[in-house]
Amino acid sequence: MLAIIIDDSRAMRLILRRIIAKIGFDAVEAGDGQAALDTIAELTEPPQLALVDWNMPVMNGLEFVTRARKDPRLRDMTLVMVTTESEQSQIVRALAAGAHEYVIKPFTEDSMIDKLALLGLTPTGANP
Amino acid sequence: MGLSASDFAFVAALVRRESSIVLAPGKEYLVEARLIPVARQVGAAGVAEFLASLQRMPNADHQRRVVDALTTNETSFFRDREPFTALTDVVVPQLVKARGAQRRLRVWSAASSSGQEPYSLAISLQESLPPGWDYDIVGSDISTEMIKRSEAAEFSQVEVNRGLAAQQLVQYFERSGAHWRVVQSLRRHVSFQRLNLTAPLPPLPPFDVIFLRNVLIYFDVATKRTVLRNVARLMRPDGWLFLGAAETTIGIDDNYERVTAGRTSAYRLRAAVPAGAAGRM
Amino acid sequence: MSVQTVPNVADLAEMVEQVWTSYLDPEGVEPLIPVEKGANSSEVHSSVSITGSWQGVVVYGSSQEAAKQAAAAFLAMEPDEVSAEDLADVLGELANIVGGNVKAMLPAGCFLSLPQVVLAPESASRYPSAVQVAGLYGTWKGEPISVTMWQSRTDVKEGGVA
Repeated sequence: MLAIIIDDSRAMRLILRRIIAKIGFDAVEAGDGQAALDTIAELTEPPQLALVDWNMPVMNGLEFVTRARKDPRLRDMTLVMVTTESEQSQIVRALAAGAHEYVIKPFTEDSMIDKLALLGLTPTGANP
Repeated sequence: MGLSASDFAFVAALVRRESSIVLAPGKEYLVEARLIPVARQVGAAGVAEFLASLQRMPNADHQRRVVDALTTNETSFFRDREPFTALTDVVVPQLVKARGAQRRLRVWSAASSSGQEPYSLAISLQESLPPGWDYDIVGSDISTEMIKRSEAAEFSQVEVNRGLAAQQLVQYFERSGAHWRVVQSLRRHVSFQRLNLTAPLPPLPPFDVIFLRNVLIYFDVATKRTVLRNVARLMRPDGWLFLGAAETTIGIDDNYERVTAGRTSAYRLRAAVPAGAAGRM
Repeated sequence: MSVQTVPNVADLAEMVEQVWTSYLDPEGVEPLIPVEKGANSSEVHSSVSITGSWQGVVVYGSSQEAAKQAAAAFLAMEPDEVSAEDLADVLGELANIVGGNVKAMLPAGCFLSLPQVVLAPESASRYPSAVQVAGLYGTWKGEPISVTMWQSRTDVKEGGVA
């Protein structure tokens, strides 16, 4: 299983990579939304999961989610916002734009794994 | 650092006396880690200094803090998930048939710790009961500190990140400074009281569903039996008891029978289960 | 009359504690220990600006050693292996996380900037038109750490904050 981790912090990408490796995901990384779209375009198959920061240079995460939702090729990609944006109104905006789940920074490893389990992404690899 | 054997023995005896919970040797590291914040709160230089002064001069408030720190279970919203799924998919539909006259369910979250379980139960019932039904949820815990926290219904960012779907977070919580608070429309169904499960329980109206999870594991067999007997008295004859995944009534209390409930197990009072009403295991 | 709600020290402390629980001290054995407002002894710092209905800056400062230890914890490497780039990345992310959570406690309609990192003491960055409205000071592994909130002065006058 492949995920794309989109965050402008290398440290955050590494933390997320370590966590999702525990439930069987390999990962490619991108530092902003546009770089992520470029990376995905070059893959023969799109990732099953995208972990998306909100505040990034070039193209922010909300814009990425909006674009990904409109792309038929990415129809089956699960979108999880992972961001410090934590107002209720922001969560609602992200869900409305098409994010499937929302994890607020700071998060613990357990909480991230729990969220992915809610989406049917579990260590056994059972996919919805 | 590390806790001395005599400090550990002192803490273990205190916790055993106040809560019946047994701290086995080997848990020194855990005890020390849990007591670091307590020592800081009371202004002691460290855990060793804090315990030394507590042994020299007993202090009820400090003793209570120690017991609270060591008996509080790690918890999260919808912990283990399966029992909540069983509740909404299996138990609620059956109870809705059986309680058509009352249109009201009563659920007990025993040893509810910081309150995630009772509020998760409230969300479950809110989302699964037919319109026109009402419900009461009672959370109980031995710790007054936990009861206070639960009544405040405020959870940290880290706590709400765990187990709740984003949709549930925006629907059932509102931001309150650094915290998230359960909305009033849910809170009004949930009340709390301090209860010691090992002592005789006060008379309460009986419950349709009881969640008693990850509590029995801390007790020896005789205490487990006492707790299960106490709980049975507060359970409706056709009620449902959910235990933790590693817990059972089997070999401890024959009044209960294990039944399948969705993808997990529940326990029902033997005499009351009509033949064939539930799949026996 | 609506009350101007600006996060106080307790709010900052709770948020910072959660950052520690999540990334820097998951075992709960090396917490950030609050101290009375001491000398602001940062050697490196990072900041995010908040604009909109509230205007100001949230600054994370620490000693060089604390920053190195934090980067090592985030990146799961030895402190000696931490590069200047790693240090800047982690300091930036710390300001981003704290700043984003501060923003959520402010009146609606605020925006967060990308983090700015300066590998020099806070005195190198001046927030000339801002006054400090909240500050959390602590030590971690014996090293100083601070999180401060600075409100733009024009904003202070309008909001009536003393």
